[in-house]
Amino acid sequence: MIIPVTVFVALTALCSINGVSLFNTDDSLLLLTRGVATTMLTAMALAINLNSGRFDFSLGSMATLSSVIGATVALNTGGGIVVMAAVTVGSGVLLGVFAGLVYVRLGISPMVCSLGITLLYEGVSFAISGGANVSFLLDTGLTSFSKSPLNMLLVIVAGLAVVFVIFDRSRFGYDYRSLITGQAAAVAAGTNERRNAIGCYAVSGGLMSVVGLIIASQMGYIEAGKLNFGSIGVMFTAFLPMFIGGFIGRFSNDKLGYLLGAFCTTLIGLAFAALRLTSTAQSIANALLLVGFLAYLSNEDRLKRAWRRLAGPPRGTPGPAAPSSPAKPAEVPAVTGASAS
Amino acid sequence: MHDLTQTSRREPVSGVARRAVLRERLAALAPLAGLIALSVTFVLVGNAHGVNMSYSVQTLVNQSVIIVVIATGAIFIFSMGSFDISLGASTLVAAMAGGLTYNATESLWAMLAVCIGTAVAASLISATLAAVFDLPVFVTTVAMLSVLGAVAVALVQTTGGAQIRVDRSFAREYDTLPVKFAVAAAFIALCVFLFNFTRLGRAEKLIGGNPMAAKLTGISMKKSAIAAFAIAGLGVGLGAFLTVLRTPTLTTTTAADIGMNVLVAMVFGGMPISGGPRSRIYAALIGGLSMAVLNQTMTTLLASTSAGNGLAQVVRAAFFLAVVWVASSGHRTKLLPR
Repeated sequence: MIIPVTVFVALTALCSINGVSLFNTDDSLLLLTRGVATTMLTAMALAINLNSGRFDFSLGSMATLSSVIGATVALNTGGGIVVMAAVTVGSGVLLGVFAGLVYVRLGISPMVCSLGITLLYEGVSFAISGGANVSFLLDTGLTSFSKSPLNMLLVIVAGLAVVFVIFDRSRFGYDYRSLITGQAAAVAAGTNERRNAIGCYAVSGGLMSVVGLIIASQMGYIEAGKLNFGSIGVMFTAFLPMFIGGFIGRFSNDKLGYLLGAFCTTLIGLAFAALRLTSTAQSIANALLLVGFLAYLSNEDRLKRAWRRLAGPPRGTPGPAAPSSPAKPAEVPAVTGASAS
Repeated sequence: MHDLTQTSRREPVSGVARRAVLRERLAALAPLAGLIALSVTFVLVGNAHGVNMSYSVQTLVNQSVIIVVIATGAIFIFSMGSFDISLGASTLVAAMAGGLTYNATESLWAMLAVCIGTAVAASLISATLAAVFDLPVFVTTVAMLSVLGAVAVALVQTTGGAQIRVDRSFAREYDTLPVKFAVAAAFIALCVFLFNFTRLGRAEKLIGGNPMAAKLTGISMKKSAIAAFAIAGLGVGLGAFLTVLRTPTLTTTTAADIGMNVLVAMVFGGMPISGGPRSRIYAALIGGLSMAVLNQTMTTLLASTSAGNGLAQVVRAAFFLAVVWVASSGHRTKLLPR
């Protein structure tokens, strides 16, 4: 909890110094919960495959295409938000399964496969909408979903619960972790890697469909005319929370880490808005935060060793033994990567 | 002493090994076969629709030359197994800086120098950050993508409008096939020389193929990465220069799709995404041309429908996956690739 609390305190102090409030508008709670929901789900969708070495560019296109399908069906049937949500999530899962099947059947690099899938899904979105936005601005039934903090909280809880059960409390999850830690050994031991990969893509697609649903409901329209990788920007917002989540996950559960990571990045976004930073300054600050955090992670051991040298030995612990003779110097305690962390 | 006569005698090659070699060679030829098939289709479709082929070929060259130049330089990065996602943003910022320079100096050479300088500087910042902080290159390029996007917005705002305009008649004067061919040919020749005939090219491929072996042979990973990024930056700078000539009105979305298209072009041309010894400079040329030919054919076939561009992209995706699948058919293992 140190990271989110520190971020909250630091941002509150920064805002106070500048004479503004971090939560300065009536809908701050809504902005916070919505930001946490979309960022956390995207970070989890990205991490599910990235943890297995599968980089996925198609997340944004899955969000767009599933919400285009959901909105089109809801508008044509008059089914309202329930139909839109059901069709969007169902489509997202199926789109994920299709992406997984393409990867597994073709046996090509996942990054390359995701490029092809992105082109494919963007093309289908464009073809369905004719390149125009799918708009439902005046349909309050469809736009009200993401205007309720309670709905957003439910999405966060449900998303966490589903991912926790699938990846931490099921045979699928155990297989998933065994494949991460030792692909060849896990497959040799009988783990069905292909089925597991397809499952991961399905979960990832399902999570991104919820992101698509929230964004569509928030905007009142879906930008379905994005071609040539116009949809991949969605995933870049998830990098920082994903890395923060991974770091927090080392000390607790990684899903909780993604939640707290999303909370931190959403708070940072709210602080930027309260401080009225320009988009240029926000982009540069976000980039610096990403590089700074990862630079810390990559050099954690080195920094800890430097800190220990500066601080000296901890109180109450005996220092290194004095050399018994000038010919035999005292042994320096070895600091391995494992013990350092 | 080693008997030299023994080494000259051919080892018997089993049928399985011969078939494997043959399969690998056929797979390596898949991108070229794809380009030939696409070109034949392009001519047939063009003739059937009464298209002006001379104009179409010009459009094709215009579409492909910038991608080919940037992709050729980027092959140095990708052959190491690294990944640069900021190529498009870097092209945009370099083009904007070049455009502003031309508006201030009215000098073609000053514009060229600033395009190259900006792109090389951006590229080196990514590589140096990665080297200094021991970060994955991909992460620093993600951060650079964000920073460069912001810089592009700031550069546009210096004009007080939403675009940077370069004198259209000047741009038209140099936006010619001889200029494009000269720039592309000179850069490709330089890259072919560096990649195939120098220690640098061998080092890049060895790092991509086996980083541990590369380290043990004394190759400096950091220096190799910085050199690769510098060459890629040179390609981006030249691409940005051609972009200003081709599109003299620059907005923040001018080169939005270049980064990803460069990646697709390389993979289309048979470049393995993991780099290594199978990396080829010609992948950029074949891939860039294939994409342009496919785009032109699809435009001819589907331009009249409202969903045309979307369907064209669906076909492009299917073709892309098919070519990659055939090209990687000789390298499949029981485990899924990562």
